[in-house]
Amino acid sequence: MTTTTLPAPSDDQSIESQWAVETHGLTKRFKDNVAVDGVELLVPRGCAFGYLGPNGAGKTTLIRVLLGLTHADAGTMSLLGYPVPKHRDRALARMGAIVDEPRFHAHLTGRQNLEILAAAREPAARTRVDVSLERVGIAHRADDRVSKYSMGMRQRLGVAACLLGDPQLLILDEPMNGLDPAGMLEMREMIQSLVAEGRTVVLSSHLLDEVERTCDAVAIVDHGKVIRQGPIAELLAGSAFVLQIDCSTPERAGSLLAGTPWGAAVEVGGDGLRVDLAAGTGREVVAEVNRLLVEGGISVYRLQEIHASLESWFLEVTTRLGDPQ
Amino acid sequence: MTTSTVTATPAPNPLPPEPDGAARDHRGSWLPNGAMITTRIMELRKRRGLVIALVFVNIGVPTLFLAVRLLAHAVSPHSYGPAGGYDIFSTLVAGVMFIFGFIVAATLGCTAGSVDLTEGMFRHLVVTGRSRLALYLARIPAGLAIIVPLVAVGFTIVCAVCVFAAPTQLDYQGVTVPPGLSHSAFESWAGDHADEVICNFNYNGPMFANVPCGNGPGGGPGVQVAPGGAVPQPTSPATNRAQAIKIADQDYTGYSGHFLSPSISLMVKAGLWIELYAAIGFLVGLGLASLMGQRTVPVILLIVLEIVLTPLLSHSPIAHLVNVQRGLVGLAATHFEPGGLPSVFGGAHNGGPGVAAVTESTTVAVCVIAGWIVLWTALGAWRMVNRDA
Repeated sequence: MTTTTLPAPSDDQSIESQWAVETHGLTKRFKDNVAVDGVELLVPRGCAFGYLGPNGAGKTTLIRVLLGLTHADAGTMSLLGYPVPKHRDRALARMGAIVDEPRFHAHLTGRQNLEILAAAREPAARTRVDVSLERVGIAHRADDRVSKYSMGMRQRLGVAACLLGDPQLLILDEPMNGLDPAGMLEMREMIQSLVAEGRTVVLSSHLLDEVERTCDAVAIVDHGKVIRQGPIAELLAGSAFVLQIDCSTPERAGSLLAGTPWGAAVEVGGDGLRVDLAAGTGREVVAEVNRLLVEGGISVYRLQEIHASLESWFLEVTTRLGDPQ
Repeated sequence: MTTSTVTATPAPNPLPPEPDGAARDHRGSWLPNGAMITTRIMELRKRRGLVIALVFVNIGVPTLFLAVRLLAHAVSPHSYGPAGGYDIFSTLVAGVMFIFGFIVAATLGCTAGSVDLTEGMFRHLVVTGRSRLALYLARIPAGLAIIVPLVAVGFTIVCAVCVFAAPTQLDYQGVTVPPGLSHSAFESWAGDHADEVICNFNYNGPMFANVPCGNGPGGGPGVQVAPGGAVPQPTSPATNRAQAIKIADQDYTGYSGHFLSPSISLMVKAGLWIELYAAIGFLVGLGLASLMGQRTVPVILLIVLEIVLTPLLSHSPIAHLVNVQRGLVGLAATHFEPGGLPSVFGGAHNGGPGVAAVTESTTVAVCVIAGWIVLWTALGAWRMVNRDA
């Protein structure tokens, strides 16, 4: 597993574990299929953490193991500093989670469903029903039956259910499913506001663009194993990037740059010159390219770094998509 | 931003401090709290189709039956007898409310035991951190809080009609007999109404009186005179009186089981009895549905048990299988059937008019009922605790 850096906990959390989620060697098998294979996962507190992986990679299974919805076959784990399963009830008391598609009693209203869930929590949770409904934006439909809710509204109701316990940690499995663009934007803003309040949000998703916009750090899981984890900026910083150059004579510029060691590939197109820079290349190379072109008598109008997106990086590091083995 | 490496293993920490209010949050306890029970009641009673079915079977069917009888009697009192009375009471209680009360209670139990799972709420509930056992146990008082009052309302209606619309005269084997006679008073009355008794009452013994009964409805032991046949010499009134007293002596047991209306004692016992059986039906349904994780198949299984298997296996002892027969919860429940009610499945009960078929002691009956309740509750709870959500 690649080693990278993660933010440290803030001072006010120092009396507790610095990790919201911590697993070591966590394994879950379904007969011969190893769905979660020795997962080492560290989710720092107070951030939005994306948990990414292709379909069937074991994302939901890991979440189910963490929440006690199914049992682990091996490994250790702790949630908010509580070792589980020994103290799972204490940990879950400070957590909220949506796993898979949020489903509720369809014959009851959204409010009544939340009342059932609040009753199973601490007494104070019963006072948070209205606040939670308000926060996710379905207070005006709270007294409608869930059978009349759209998928997006059920997603919001699921998040409202998570908020009943005033959680320190939220685990949201595909929370953007079924949401329209406006709904996705609202969900993103809500997650960010939860993080701003000091909560930790673990977001499992295959919507890489949304994760990139929403999360501070990610873990990539494939074939049941975490193959990369860390802050998105740091993970992407280590990947290759492209330099798009708009200049007076692209052909001449291309031949100039083709002989340099950092120009892995040079291509002249209708929109100018495109130079693929090797992974690990620093930003100082951009200035070096500019200097080389100017000294060669070429007028440079624009230099643009185009870094790899999380999506392209994800495709690069996962074996299942893009580069099947 | 301060950074630390992923591979660094944090030092072991003591458990985080408990937040305010945690002392009142007995989340790991196996005991459900009041709010869990209340919301579970709300969830069940909001199931419109289920509640309509429960109300229809427990209240609607007996009410409809009695309403039709009341109406018919009001329109044509000579053609249709009174709506209430002891016979109607015993038929409705033992024939309808006992069996169908079990079935609807089992349906409610199967619903309570499976819907969280099938409708996706079980996962949400587990994630609250609440003990799964508490989640299961909350269903028991909630379901009973629905089924017990429903059965009580239906039973109260039956009792009210059977008492207030009871016949004013007792009809025993086609003869109007004063109700509540003692053994000697019954014999005395029979002596005074010798011809009716001889012609209508059942009698199994030697006849020494000749009474021409014609084609009377009773089919009693009196001499039936065929058309054109020789008329036997009628016996003296004294002989007829002696014969009638003998017949009355033999029939007193049957007569003493007939009343104009059910007694308060019988109504209380019968009410508790059908409530007990409904509660058993609910608990068995709850456990079975929790075990199987679905509603339809457990409901079908329990209907088959109640409508087919129990009556079939209760009618006569089967060699080598009599202990299996005794293990039927329906048969064990009939052991506690109040005396004076007809046997539901043909099994034995205390002093009722039913014929004892498969008998068992009170201890065995108690053990069978307790065993069914404990076994299915334990199986359902075990599955709930260990099930993947």
